[in-house]
Amino acid sequence: MNRTLRKLFSNASSLVGIVLLFVFIIIAILAPVIAPPLSEDPYQIPRMSWDVNPQPPGFSMSDNIRDIYDYMGKDLKWDISICGTAEGGYDIFYGLIWGTRTAFRIGLITVAIAAFIGVFIGSISAYFGGWIDEILMRITDIFLSFPFLVAAMVLTTILGRGLDKVMIALITFGWMGYARLIRGSILSAKEETYVMAAKALGVKDIKIIWKHLLPNTIFPVMVQATMNIGSMVITAAALSFLGVGAPVGYADWGQMVSFARNWIIGSPGNAGQYWFTVFYPGIFIVLFVLAWNLIGDTLRDILDPRLRGEL
Amino acid sequence: MIKDNKKLLLEVKNLKTYFFTEDGIVKAVDGVDFEVYKGETLGVVGESACGKSVTAFSIMRLLDYPGKTVSGEVIFKGENLLKKTEDEMRRIRGKEIAMIFQEPMTALNPVLTVGFQISEALMMHFKISKKEALKKSIELLKKVEIPIPEQRVNEYPHQLSGGMRQRAMIAMAMSCDPTLLIADEPTTALDVTIQAQILDLMKSLLREFNGSLIMITHDLGVIAEIADSIAVMYAGKIVEYADKRTIFYTPLHPYTFGLLTSIPRLDVEMKRLNVIPGIVPNPLHFPTGCKFNPRCRFATNKCREEEPPLIKVEEGHLVRCWNIDKVVKEVKKGLLVGV
Amino acid sequence: MLSYIIRRLLLLPIILLGVTFLIFCVFSLLSPMERLATYVHDPATLKSAQSIERLIDKYHLDDPFPLSYINWINRIVHLDLGWSQAANQPVWEAICQRFPATLELVLYSIIPVILVGIWLGVISAVHHNDMLDQTIRVTAIIGWSLPTFIFGLFVLFIFYGILGWLPPGRLSAWAQDIVYTGANFKSYTRLVTIDALLNGNIPIFLDALRHLIAPIITLSYISWAFLLRITRSSMLDTLRKDYVRTARAKGVDEHTVIHLHAQKNAMIPVMTIAGMMIIRMMAGVVITETIFTYPGLGFWAASSAQQLDYGSVISFALLFATLMVLGNLIVDISYALIDPRVRLE
Repeated sequence: MNRTLRKLFSNASSLVGIVLLFVFIIIAILAPVIAPPLSEDPYQIPRMSWDVNPQPPGFSMSDNIRDIYDYMGKDLKWDISICGTAEGGYDIFYGLIWGTRTAFRIGLITVAIAAFIGVFIGSISAYFGGWIDEILMRITDIFLSFPFLVAAMVLTTILGRGLDKVMIALITFGWMGYARLIRGSILSAKEETYVMAAKALGVKDIKIIWKHLLPNTIFPVMVQATMNIGSMVITAAALSFLGVGAPVGYADWGQMVSFARNWIIGSPGNAGQYWFTVFYPGIFIVLFVLAWNLIGDTLRDILDPRLRGEL
Repeated sequence: MIKDNKKLLLEVKNLKTYFFTEDGIVKAVDGVDFEVYKGETLGVVGESACGKSVTAFSIMRLLDYPGKTVSGEVIFKGENLLKKTEDEMRRIRGKEIAMIFQEPMTALNPVLTVGFQISEALMMHFKISKKEALKKSIELLKKVEIPIPEQRVNEYPHQLSGGMRQRAMIAMAMSCDPTLLIADEPTTALDVTIQAQILDLMKSLLREFNGSLIMITHDLGVIAEIADSIAVMYAGKIVEYADKRTIFYTPLHPYTFGLLTSIPRLDVEMKRLNVIPGIVPNPLHFPTGCKFNPRCRFATNKCREEEPPLIKVEEGHLVRCWNIDKVVKEVKKGLLVGV
Repeated sequence: MLSYIIRRLLLLPIILLGVTFLIFCVFSLLSPMERLATYVHDPATLKSAQSIERLIDKYHLDDPFPLSYINWINRIVHLDLGWSQAANQPVWEAICQRFPATLELVLYSIIPVILVGIWLGVISAVHHNDMLDQTIRVTAIIGWSLPTFIFGLFVLFIFYGILGWLPPGRLSAWAQDIVYTGANFKSYTRLVTIDALLNGNIPIFLDALRHLIAPIITLSYISWAFLLRITRSSMLDTLRKDYVRTARAKGVDEHTVIHLHAQKNAMIPVMTIAGMMIIRMMAGVVITETIFTYPGLGFWAASSAQQLDYGSVISFALLFATLMVLGNLIVDISYALIDPRVRLE
């Protein structure tokens, strides 16, 4: 374990990944400080104006909205839009900061649950073999027949908008990779003598799986999980982009990019006019996913020589 | 220790090959000297990880990263192989010096036919056509005693048995009539009965071509069958070097002595098997002084402090040990009978 | 090998059945009324409660699960997939009409993906850990960290927004006139580029190509990065194998060692994954076509989802899943054909 940590920090690319991740964690934790919520629900992005057109960075809150806050007796902690507003006056900066929390939530929760389900199914399948293995693997094949985005789209269309529905969709079609991975590892580990020795001693199956097989086979799953955090966030963002993910106005990066869809081309004569609507959310998404991918990629390189049993 | 300059084929002088790993430098081959003469077989004996295979790879210049030959000379037919360019080496490999490996299943390419793999060297070194090369391959398969060679030539390695694969590898190695053959544990992965067949085959081929052989193995029985002179290796160095009879009848290094006495005997009553206590040292943490000292029952303080050089005990017999006389005493006790 | 192929073929109907079953389960999460909406396109027929009852009966929407499922399958087999609100035509028609556009896009995208991905992957592995490898790897990592929609928007922004070179859509207005209504343009394949060539109409060919370039770049970017990673790791594995050393020991030149001895083996696992990846490109099609308003299946899928057009959404899930199952089968069988160890057992 120490060796792994040491290698993670010494490799240039994973170091960049760790630093990036660290920055995001800080942003997520300090969200209420960096971008104080202006309403009850911190995940509801405040609107700077009713204007459909996005407003450039530095835009000051429009008067009619200011009046609403006065009327409601609410304290305006800030009123300048640092990164500009997206379509409908939603403040981009706020959306990005609180969107970090959303990203972590989506990434970590979906991956954790999907991995758990996958490992569970995969290890049962591999350990017991026979009919159980056949059936479980066929079920896995069936789920694998759906391209991930398409399946998620179908589920979210039918279940409705909302972050929790998005997570359900991601988990439902995200566990298969882990199942296959752990199944492969256990199938080979199962034949090792230490497992036969445990069986010969009469150790219960569940204990064998839990104490002997899993600790030795779980590392590739962890590597895969790390890489998948990024792709889960991307898929969730893609769903929001297509209009079937988070509800309108929710602090989610994909949501922010979807606001930009119609404005990317700018107005005639000024093509890059609304660059900020795509640039800021885009940069956040890319850096977040890049961080996880860099770390995961290095973890996989560490894993490879281990598998081969070299020095 | 050159016996006959006219017949000298390969001379290895002070060969050092180190592996520069992240955890430290592994001195796999640390100053090895030996000679191979025309028509003769040199046996290189030792336990796993003593540097025998690395020596062979160093001669062929087939070292994998992070290995590097840091010093020494490998004089083949009067020229130093270590100084040659990669292009020149390629013309030598397969044609002048050929190698066969331990695991025929993994050493043969699973997606290419046996015939192609044998023909390849021929086409490459002699620029003959594919048809001609294939014909020669069938002849070679016949020579290594593979039945129905015309059929086998179009088959894939997984379709042959273990023994046949090894024969195919020998055919592949001998295809260009190399002057020197290096065999790295060729029989270790085979059944004992097949082992004997393969050894016989190799012996007859060598006789026919008057070829030289470096036989690398940990199996003393194989060495006894086929070697003319023997170099015993331990921890990257040669610890004893002599002709076969001397090694088996009058070994002088405690390690050689240990190896020979550990062979179980049927004619003498033995309550326990003789073993060499301890295990091969970790190449990253070699002991000081003589590398064998932790396991040696003759070890003295001098052994722990200073590494002995190779001493010429008599003509044609080199030993790396401070306590040769003690071993002689044990030998005289008659615990050893020639194999 | 024969037994392997037969086994895979026998599994095919089972998997297809499972796939349809899963879709139907999801579909059934909707109420009978909502499901009815997917079949009916004329609101007039839904006037009275009676007619609604009758229709629900007709489509077996309220029957016990197994009966409902069987009836649904029966309809699908007869290509009655309901009505697409988004396209304002029967679903099956909508699919048929949009399929060629997507097919054209995907076919053109496969070439750069495979060529670039495998070629760079081999180079990367051969130059393991030196500058070239690191550069390629970093480019690839950025490649699969860049979500398709961000990259696509970026491409649209630069090449259309700023430069104006590559417009969205499939054909310019003038070209559309000729292709879809003109008398002297015969649509043989409905793949516009090929049809244009067959009709000898170079301007239309160029116009279609111009519209295809940006979507192709977008669609292929993530895929080639993925293929590169797989090729690289497979090559690295293979280059360490014993038989590569044997080849070098024979005096084989380095070029042959890498491209014949190593690559031939390394490509076997890559081929299987490449096959699956091409199928997965279909999902990327949804986003790409949406960004470039390219009138294919993906665009229709995205707008259907947005408009909560359940019938279309369910149908394209069915379509993509079926394509994927068939694709997997082809990939598995070709794997058996490529690897002599499987072919000749």
